Amino acid sequence: MQKKPLRMLLSSTIIFLSLSTQAVAALPKSVEVDRGEVEAVCNENNPDWRVAQTIEGVDIQESLRCSPDNPYSVAAEVKGTNNLSMEALMNTHYAMDGIIKKNDMDGDGDPDLIIIKLEVAELNGHSPDFNGFVPTFDIAPGIQPAMWVFAPKSRGMATNSFVGVDANPLLRAPSPVIRVEQGDTIWIQLENTHYFPHTIHLHGVDHPWVDSSGEGNDGVPQTSDKFVLPGQSKTYEIRPRVAGTFAYHCHVQTHVHLAMGLVGMFVVEENRPNNWVQTFNVGAGQVRHPSKAILEEFDSEYDLHYHAMDKELHSIVQKYNDPRLIAKKMNREYDMTEATEDYHTLNGRSFPYTLRESMIVTEPDENIKIRMFNSTGETLAMHTHGHKGTITHYDGVLHNPSAQITRDIYDLAPAQRNDLKINTKDDGFHSYGEGIWIFHDHREKGITTDGMNPGGNVSALVYKKYLDEIGMPKGIGESPMQLFTKKFQQRKLPVWQNIDEWNSLGEPDSLNYVAPEASKPAPADVTPGSATVKVEEDNSMRNLFFGLFFGLFVYLAFVKREKWIAVISSFKGGK
Amino acid sequence: MLKKLSIVAMSLAFSVPALAEKEFENHTNMMDHGDGHLMDMTGGMIMGQNTDVLPGGCDKIAATKEITVHAGHKYAKKFPGRMYSFDVQEYQFEPCTKLTINFVNDDSVRHQWMMHGLPKYLYPKGMFHMELTGPGKISGTLIFPPGDKTYLVHCDIAQHMEKGMKGQLKIGKGSGDLPSIPGVTSYVIQDDYWDKSEEAQGLSDVIVEEVADLTEAVAGNDSFFSGLTIIGLAIGLIIAPLLARKFKDMSVGEIISYIFELAQSGISLVVKLISWLVSSVMGLISKK
Repeated sequence: MQKKPLRMLLSSTIIFLSLSTQAVAALPKSVEVDRGEVEAVCNENNPDWRVAQTIEGVDIQESLRCSPDNPYSVAAEVKGTNNLSMEALMNTHYAMDGIIKKNDMDGDGDPDLIIIKLEVAELNGHSPDFNGFVPTFDIAPGIQPAMWVFAPKSRGMATNSFVGVDANPLLRAPSPVIRVEQGDTIWIQLENTHYFPHTIHLHGVDHPWVDSSGEGNDGVPQTSDKFVLPGQSKTYEIRPRVAGTFAYHCHVQTHVHLAMGLVGMFVVEENRPNNWVQTFNVGAGQVRHPSKAILEEFDSEYDLHYHAMDKELHSIVQKYNDPRLIAKKMNREYDMTEATEDYHTLNGRSFPYTLRESMIVTEPDENIKIRMFNSTGETLAMHTHGHKGTITHYDGVLHNPSAQITRDIYDLAPAQRNDLKINTKDDGFHSYGEGIWIFHDHREKGITTDGMNPGGNVSALVYKKYLDEIGMPKGIGESPMQLFTKKFQQRKLPVWQNIDEWNSLGEPDSLNYVAPEASKPAPADVTPGSATVKVEEDNSMRNLFFGLFFGLFVYLAFVKREKWIAVISSFKGGK
Repeated sequence: MLKKLSIVAMSLAFSVPALAEKEFENHTNMMDHGDGHLMDMTGGMIMGQNTDVLPGGCDKIAATKEITVHAGHKYAKKFPGRMYSFDVQEYQFEPCTKLTINFVNDDSVRHQWMMHGLPKYLYPKGMFHMELTGPGKISGTLIFPPGDKTYLVHCDIAQHMEKGMKGQLKIGKGSGDLPSIPGVTSYVIQDDYWDKSEEAQGLSDVIVEEVADLTEAVAGNDSFFSGLTIIGLAIGLIIAPLLARKFKDMSVGEIISYIFELAQSGISLVVKLISWLVSSVMGLISKK
C-alpha cells in the first residue's frame, strides 16, 4: 500500500510520455496551395462569330468552339482583301494588299491569279527597355517561348490593343495554313520584316526551280536562291498542277529556323468551277469555308499542325538584342544534336488552350476531313479515342483506295502529312458513339508541357451534345480549372489537391514541420569501419616512434661514418 | 484544246508582268474614314490626322513646320547591332506647332511612324500613326498640344523598334530622354557580349572543390612528418649516445635480451602500480 502513490505517479508519467511522443511523431499536415488567379476557361467569347453566316457572299460554316475564327477575316481570306468592302476589312487586321485575287482567266467563276503576302514576325521577343516579352503569345497559361512565324500581311500595331502586349490575332503560331486551287497562278510574296535573312521553300508543292525571270524559286540558298534580306521582298511563282496536303518553310539555317516556327501547311485544293478557297487558315484548325471538292465528300475540314520546341533554343532571342549575338548563340553555340523538345503544340497551343481552339466538333453520321502535319523533330504517334480513322493520303498523294488502312494510331514522320477520314457512324468500329473523345500524340512526352502532365498536344473530338454554350466540353470528369492558372504551369500546384475530404494526396506542409528524433531500432550487429568516410587516425605515436628510430639511425650513421665511407668507396673504385 | 492553250498563254502573260517588282508609290489619293483616319487600297494609312483643330491651351498655331522622315534597313548602317532605323532620331518643336510629316519608306516591307501620348479627346487612342505597306511616300499633319513633353516615335512591327526603329520628338524642352534611341541613349537592359555568366565558375566545380576540402578535413593529415616526428627525432638523437655507451661491447643477442629484460621490469612495475591502486581503492570503500 505504501508504494501505491509512486506507482500512480510512474504510470501517469508513462501515459503522458506516450501522448507527447504521438504528437512529435506525426508527419506534416496536408496544406492547400493557393491556385492564384484562375483564368476564365473560355476568354474570348464572340457569340456572333460562332454561328454559320454569310458575309458579302461568302458562306462561313458554324464554329462552336470557344475561340472561333473571325468571320470577317475568313471573308477576306476567301474573297481577297481587294474584293472585300472597306467596312468588312476594317473588322480584320489584314493589310489592304494582304491577299489579292483577280483575273478569272478560264471563266469558271473564280479568280486565277492569287497574290499572297507573308511577313515574318517574332513572338514573345526581347525588349531592351523592360523585363518582359513583346508581342506575347501564350501556348499555355504563362508559357511564352520565343517563336518566329510567317504571318499574313497585317496593318497597324503588332499588339492587340494599347493596354496589353499580347499579339494581334494574325500574329500567332503556327505559321498560317495556305490554301490555293489547283491550276491557279500563285505569287507568294515574302516581305522580310524580320532581322535575319529568310526564304520560302515549297515542300511537296509543284513549283518550277526557277521563276519566269530566271531567278531561284526553290528557296534553297545553297543551290538556287539569294537570301531575302531584312527589309527586302521576293516573289515565288507557282502554278501547282497536283492537289494535296503539302508544306512550306524557311530554308535558311533550316534546322533552327524551322524549329523556331517558320513552317506551315500548304494545301492545294482540287480544281472545281466557282471554287473560292480560303487562302489562309490562321491558327489552323477548322476550315470555315471548305473548298467545293471537300464539300462533295465531307461535312467539315480540319488542319492539324503538330510542332515541338526546345525551351533552350526558344529562349535565345529573349536574352539578347543584338542580331549578331543572336546569330552566334543560335547557329554557333546551340547544338541541335543535344536538344530535347520541351513544348508540344497542336496548332500553336498546348493543352488546356487547345480546348479553346483546336477541338473537332461533330455530330453522328458525319464525315470529317483531317489534314495532319508534323513539323517536330521526331515521329509522332497520333491517337484518336473512340474512333478509327482511315488514312486516305500520304504526303498529299492518294493511297490506293483498296489498300487504305483504318487504324487508331497514325504515325507521322518529321515533315510528313497524312489525310484522314473520320466517320462518326456509331458502328463500334468507326465510332463508339457520342462523347468527348480526346485525341493526342501517344508518345507520352507529347502529352506534357516541359515534362508536366496534363499538357502537350492533347485536344478533343466533341459531339455537339457534349458542348456547352461557350464552346467548352461538358466534361463529367475532374475539373480542368487548375490547369488554367500560371501556378500550375510553374509546377507549384500539387498533382492531386483536394481530391478527397481530407486532401490525402495534397501538399505536405514541410515549412512548418519539425521532424522528431528518429526512432532507434534494436542494435544490430554492426561491423565497425563500414562507413565510407575515412575517420581520422591518431598518428602521433607512430610519428613519435618513426622520429625516434630515425634519430637513432642518424646517430649510428654519424658514428660509423668511416665504415660507411670505406664500404661505398670499395663499391666505387675497388681501392 | 484551243481553250486550254489560250489559258496557258494568258496565265503566262499574267505571270511575267513587273507586278512582282515593287514600285515606289506616292499615296496622294486617300479615302477619309472620319476621325482623322485616312486610307487607300494600295496600303497607305494615316490615323489621327488633324489639320485644323486647335488643342486646348493653344491660342493659335505657334509655327507651321514640315519634315521628311525616311525609314529603312539602310539607315541602321551607322548603328552597329541594329537592323532598322529612321534617318533622324531626334526632333524638337515649339508647343502648338502644326507639323506635316512626309514619311518615306525606302524598304520593300511595311514600316510605320507611330506616336503615342497625345490628348485623347483630339486623337483617337492618343495616337498619330502613318503606315506604308511598301516603298512609297505619305504625308500626314497634326497639331501638338501645349506643354513640355517628349513623345516616342517608333515602328510597331514586331521587333522593329527593339532593333533600332525608334526616335523621340520633344515639344518645348521635352520631358527627358527616352532609353534605347540609337546614337542618343543606351539600353535599359544591356547585352552581355563577354559571356560573363559562362566564364564564372560553374556550381558543379565549386561543389567538387568543397567536397575535396571536406575529405581532407575528415581524413586528417596522413603524412609521416608532423611535430611529433621532430620531437621523436630529437629524443632519438639525445638518447642515442647514452644507448651506444650502454650497448658498447655487447653482441646483438645480448642487446635484444637486455631490451626484453627492460620491458619485463617495466611491465611488472605497471602491474604493481595497478594492484596497489586497486587495493587502496577497495580499502577506502570497505572502510566506509
